[in-house]
Amino acid sequence: MTALVEVQNLTAWYGRSAVLRGVDLHIKRGEILGLVGESGSGKSTLALALLGMTVGLERRGTITMDGTNLETLPDAERAAWRGQRIAMVFQDPSSALNPLFTIGTHIVDVLRRRTPGLGRRAALQQAEAALHSVDIPDPALRLRAYPHELSGGMKQRVMIAMALAAAPDLLLADEPTTALDATIEAGIVRLLQRLRQDFRGSILFISHQLGLVAQLCDAVAVMYAGAVIERGPVAGVTTAPRHPYTARLIACELDAGASNTTIATIPGDVPDPAEHPPGCLFAARCTLAEPRCDTPQVLRSVAPDWDVACWKA
Amino acid sequence: MLESVIEFTGAHVGWGAVTALHDVTLTLGAGRVTGLVGESGSGKTTLLRAALGLVPLRAGSVTVGGTAVAELLAHNALAFRARAQLLPQDAMGALSPRMTVRRLLAEPGAIHRRPADPAPLMAALGLSSALLARYPHQLSGGQARRVAAVRSLCLDPTVLLADEPTAGLDVSVQGGLLTVLLERQQALRQTLVVSSHNLNVIRRISDALVVMYLGEVVETGPAATLYDRPAHPYTAALLSTNPVLDPAHRRAPIPIVGEIPSVLHPPAGCRFHTRCFQVQDRCRTDPPALVTTGARQVRCHYPLG
Repeated sequence: MTALVEVQNLTAWYGRSAVLRGVDLHIKRGEILGLVGESGSGKSTLALALLGMTVGLERRGTITMDGTNLETLPDAERAAWRGQRIAMVFQDPSSALNPLFTIGTHIVDVLRRRTPGLGRRAALQQAEAALHSVDIPDPALRLRAYPHELSGGMKQRVMIAMALAAAPDLLLADEPTTALDATIEAGIVRLLQRLRQDFRGSILFISHQLGLVAQLCDAVAVMYAGAVIERGPVAGVTTAPRHPYTARLIACELDAGASNTTIATIPGDVPDPAEHPPGCLFAARCTLAEPRCDTPQVLRSVAPDWDVACWKA
Repeated sequence: MLESVIEFTGAHVGWGAVTALHDVTLTLGAGRVTGLVGESGSGKTTLLRAALGLVPLRAGSVTVGGTAVAELLAHNALAFRARAQLLPQDAMGALSPRMTVRRLLAEPGAIHRRPADPAPLMAALGLSSALLARYPHQLSGGQARRVAAVRSLCLDPTVLLADEPTAGLDVSVQGGLLTVLLERQQALRQTLVVSSHNLNVIRRISDALVVMYLGEVVETGPAATLYDRPAHPYTAALLSTNPVLDPAHRRAPIPIVGEIPSVLHPPAGCRFHTRCFQVQDRCRTDPPALVTTGARQVRCHYPLG
């Protein structure tokens, strides 16, 4: 599998605060890549940067997709990639749908943007099929519904139908199940597992739930303080992590298998975005830190398809 | 220790057309940790609030240590509030935006006219004294949650009802809060009830488990028993959805169809019958009662074996 997207040394500032600090990440064709990390680690900012929608942020670095550096495209050309080559499913479906428009209008808009000249009747038929494909009962009826008439789980299914209607090469899903109840979440995860068999694009699945990523994804990238510090196969990273931060994060998971031992934490705080540690970003909290950690750590290959930003890995 | 047992008997809570709690009969064991699970609208928060007399009952009773909560409040509300505390889900909303952290933490001691030193709890929860001069809007969500926890714990309550204490907390931080809650629970032999959507958290900390669905208790019993051998189909389905990191401990998911019905129009018969994977005719018309078998209680005509 070759890379569909290649992010190189992507940094983003807001004033003096660094939100992304030299992100290196590739997304392969057809893979589901999980992106995990704690609040403020830069997961959502990275997704928005892929869309070119980080208003007010100063960006450096390159985002190459299919040979095109998106970061140098004029705004109008960049906008043409959104909703056609790249689509996004947001965390909160309630605020992502326009309350004034029916579900049908939302999907038809996407379809006609993707295929100019598509007739309204044909578009409505495709929209009905799109709702059917995400297991929405009575799709013809739902096309005429307004967002407030649907439950949260239904709205998120509509969002997924809209995103897939664009037939994107890259689907960004930012915590798509966080706002949903457990049984509804499980339904969405089953849906994504089924859809990926027909969907030929790549998915970037952002989550703070490692268990969910382990179930759904092929590979996982771990972010800390605005940088990707480990990227590898999901089974390997979740069972034998190579970066000390990943290992500590996994130790904090209260998994079903864990017994009555001490509940783990990671003492200390994530570096303030306004501070710029010279070396490893995690060194201040790392129990394995040594003087050599004062030098910057960048991702290097430790095994096939497995990169870690720690000289000890 | 017995003075902190919480007992619900045939309790109904509602407002207008909404029935938030329907016929709840339940004992929350003194000196034990009880986990409370169920999806949005199942009545978890209402149950916790009813136990403290924060919402009125339409019928039935709730007692703490054998005395009706309404009576405890009428007799000496301040004394009852000091020994039974709520850690609210919306911690930020529970902190007055006009007070600094220093004043917020001094408030419980001032109200109850007794010494309540927040410093040891702050240290245990990793809250730096630099935060004392800040206002709530200058705190992160995790810091606000921990400040609220100090307020709830600094009077050494023998009853603590924690509503989603880890919601929105990063895993690296949640462990610290849970450890402090459990330490205080042990030291005070406290009755601790924790509601959560996080089934791994509940499994880790709970002695007993209460599973709710649409305002009713559908199953209760020892946490380990329910996790290993759930008897109610909803318990089984809910626990099977739990995302687990270790493939060796992953359960085969039990798909539940459809959506949670509205509390305004709960289904006739068993409230879960519209989504149950083993529904039978009787379930559609005949509401099951909560039946005791051994250490557990189940509300199902056809409990799992």
